[in-house]
Amino acid sequence: MRIHFSLALSFVSLAWLVAPRGAYAQRPDEHAGMAGMSMPDSAGPSRWHVMAQAIPVLTHAAHTAGGADLTEGYLAQSVLMTRGSLWRGHAQLDATLNGEGLTMTRGELSTGGFGEGYVDRRHPHAYLHELVLTGVGSFGPFNYSASAGRGFAPFGTDDPMMRPFEKYPLNHHLAQILERGLIAGAMRVGPAIVEGATFGGDEPTSPSAMPRLRRFGDSWSMRATLLPRPGTELQASYARIESPEQASGFGLDQRKRSASVRMISRDGSRYALAEWASTAEWDGDRNVEAFAYESALAEAAATVGPIGVAVRLEQTGRPEEERLADPFRTPRPASDLAITGITRWRVGTLALTLPSVTHGAVRGYPFVELARLSARSTVATSVFSPERFYGGGSPWMGSIGFRVRYGPLHARMGRYGVALADSPAIRALGVSADAPHAHQH
Amino acid sequence: MHPSRQLALLAALSASLAIAACSGSDTPTVPDPNLGTGGPRTPVTMSVLGVGDFVPRRTTGELFVRGNIAYTTTWNNGTASSPFYIWDVSGDPTLIDSVRVANASTLGDIVTTPDGAYLVVATEYSQGSIVIYSLADPRKPQLVSRFSNAETFAGVHTAEVGLVNGKPYAFLSVDPAGTLAAKLVIVDLSNPAAPQQVFSKFIGRPYVHDTFVRDGLLFLGLWNDGVAIWDIGGGGKGGTPSSPVELGRVQTVNGHVHNIWWLKDPVTGSNRYAFIGEESPATGSSSAGDIHVVDVSNMSAPREVAFYTVPGAGTHNFSVDEPNGILYAAYYNGGVRALDVRGDLGTCTDAQKSTPTNSTTPLCDLTKMGRELGIGLLDRGNPVYIWGVQYVNGSVFASDMLGSIWKMRPVSRP
Repeated sequence: MRIHFSLALSFVSLAWLVAPRGAYAQRPDEHAGMAGMSMPDSAGPSRWHVMAQAIPVLTHAAHTAGGADLTEGYLAQSVLMTRGSLWRGHAQLDATLNGEGLTMTRGELSTGGFGEGYVDRRHPHAYLHELVLTGVGSFGPFNYSASAGRGFAPFGTDDPMMRPFEKYPLNHHLAQILERGLIAGAMRVGPAIVEGATFGGDEPTSPSAMPRLRRFGDSWSMRATLLPRPGTELQASYARIESPEQASGFGLDQRKRSASVRMISRDGSRYALAEWASTAEWDGDRNVEAFAYESALAEAAATVGPIGVAVRLEQTGRPEEERLADPFRTPRPASDLAITGITRWRVGTLALTLPSVTHGAVRGYPFVELARLSARSTVATSVFSPERFYGGGSPWMGSIGFRVRYGPLHARMGRYGVALADSPAIRALGVSADAPHAHQH
Repeated sequence: MHPSRQLALLAALSASLAIAACSGSDTPTVPDPNLGTGGPRTPVTMSVLGVGDFVPRRTTGELFVRGNIAYTTTWNNGTASSPFYIWDVSGDPTLIDSVRVANASTLGDIVTTPDGAYLVVATEYSQGSIVIYSLADPRKPQLVSRFSNAETFAGVHTAEVGLVNGKPYAFLSVDPAGTLAAKLVIVDLSNPAAPQQVFSKFIGRPYVHDTFVRDGLLFLGLWNDGVAIWDIGGGGKGGTPSSPVELGRVQTVNGHVHNIWWLKDPVTGSNRYAFIGEESPATGSSSAGDIHVVDVSNMSAPREVAFYTVPGAGTHNFSVDEPNGILYAAYYNGGVRALDVRGDLGTCTDAQKSTPTNSTTPLCDLTKMGRELGIGLLDRGNPVYIWGVQYVNGSVFASDMLGSIWKMRPVSRP
């Protein structure tokens, strides 16, 4: 499947129109990663930020798996995050604990979503979502960092949790590589950043699964980022992942590519992202490409008075796999290398975030999301027929919920050390100027 | 014989064959009479004798035919129970009935015991089992028992049944699940009402996908670990179903060993070749994977000597018409392929060799050797995706994932 050039051009144009101009600044109730700590701060004290979040959400999905209409509620994105500097700024620690394995074991209704044995639901993430220690330094014009631990490989765009929608995009498994045991390095010279990492390709098989030591180092990724002006970020990345879905290492490999443009205004009130990502599944035994999936996504957000408004358009190819008795699950590992087809999903999502409700140091940001979807097989004669499986109607989803948060919002997620460019948080995600400065530095 | 008589005889023979080919009887489809012996041939198009009168909303999986009754499974149902269908195939395949199997989202395999007294159905996932039915009335299978335990729980992907020293056994290829590896489980079916597990072993990398049992030898398709041959009572090494002894192992090109057929040719007496199906990635509309021919004349050192490939399509399950030396292979989007497998498959000229995908060693290429006799179901106007095939009593049956069941006239030897 190929995304039409015109579609991609439209996405980029949309991003450009929405994008802000001017410098950026960090608000007091947000935390732009450790941007301000890219260099060792020889004089400053250690700085730590803690954020706790949970999203009680009610979702109605019409014409989802099996043609069913379902309404379900969960506690999604329940996380405890901390970022801090150590040893006078020479080291940084990123840690995220994720409770979804306890609060949404069956996964979150997300028609069109897929990954880690879940389909039409988003899987719960690993309890130990991220634990990365990073050392930073500089030499002349070069700023560098080295990271180790479990976390994000340098590939693709920011984690959807720090983007202005509660529902993850369908391309999550095409556009990010996370929860891997890794060693990564980054170097920044002026506006250019280059990162590389080696890691274990195996994706988690359950929330409690840890990266397998024997798989460490079988995969790698690289990402180049250009910051032509404040608030604007161009990114291109490539990854080779060995057998992500077959922990024993004998499944199909993946070759992934990503390119994106991200823009955000200096106060985070306007934001846009356009990204393209592709994943080719590689049969290493025959040394040929087996399947390929492609995604184009554009999203934008702005605050209109006290209301946050966000729009996302996405087209993503999804592999269709055999399903279990629970039609939202697929066997992991699969019992062979076959899929039953590739479905091209198109999704339009509108999200509104309402003014916050405060209770002591805890803030709640009510939101509403609506998504309209369409699914079509890329080959009309495939064994899998989305029309038949989804009952012929047009799937849609509606969600209401609260982002309940304690502590400053982390603005970015998915980069470490000098690779983490300064950026404010996206205000449409729920950021208020008068927020309490819990755990601020 | 006088030349004019020879011509008259030839004409009569040709006319007879032409009439037979058009008659709709079970007379074999005759290959192109111009087929040569030294190079590629033009395969015949296999004649269709009938197609199922019912197309399930579900995806059709494996089939098994005994006598005039066929059974087809349903696959990837995404529901808590799955049906299999019962067909009368004495004429056009006609649906007779269906049987719903509880606690099964997929029925991947189905087979009868050699005496035809029982039907064994493999179930997946997460309550993997074999379900055993009495075929006292083959049109109305009656549940006898269900065998399931912690070792089969992940799902029974395939179940083969064979006699070992007169006793029926089922050989279950159990799926991997989570961090648990795939497993082979052997079950004694002497008492179908109370099957007894006699052996289990984690095996295959990452799967044990299928088995083939004959004369006390068990062939195992171990995916990237190739093919293993075990003595389970007929190999002379003291092996039994409860204590197998490995005789030999071979890595076929590209691995992905999916299924096996060890040929015993009743005409030539040869038992030299095993045919190995390679299942490479398939997309539900395309597929990949070759048939690999392994010389097993020395069971302790089997070696690949030939292969068969179809560009753009890959093989799935086989059936061999042994009296006629013809292998029928399900080939997903490539329909059904009929190959002449009698005689020496491992000796060929350089011109008859090709190099398999991702290999550097040329092997005898069955197509170049003129052994591709027939192609079935690619002339129907609509695409097919053929899962299983079986030669039975002068007919070839095929299960179609996009449809139901096909009945075809077999090809004949050149």
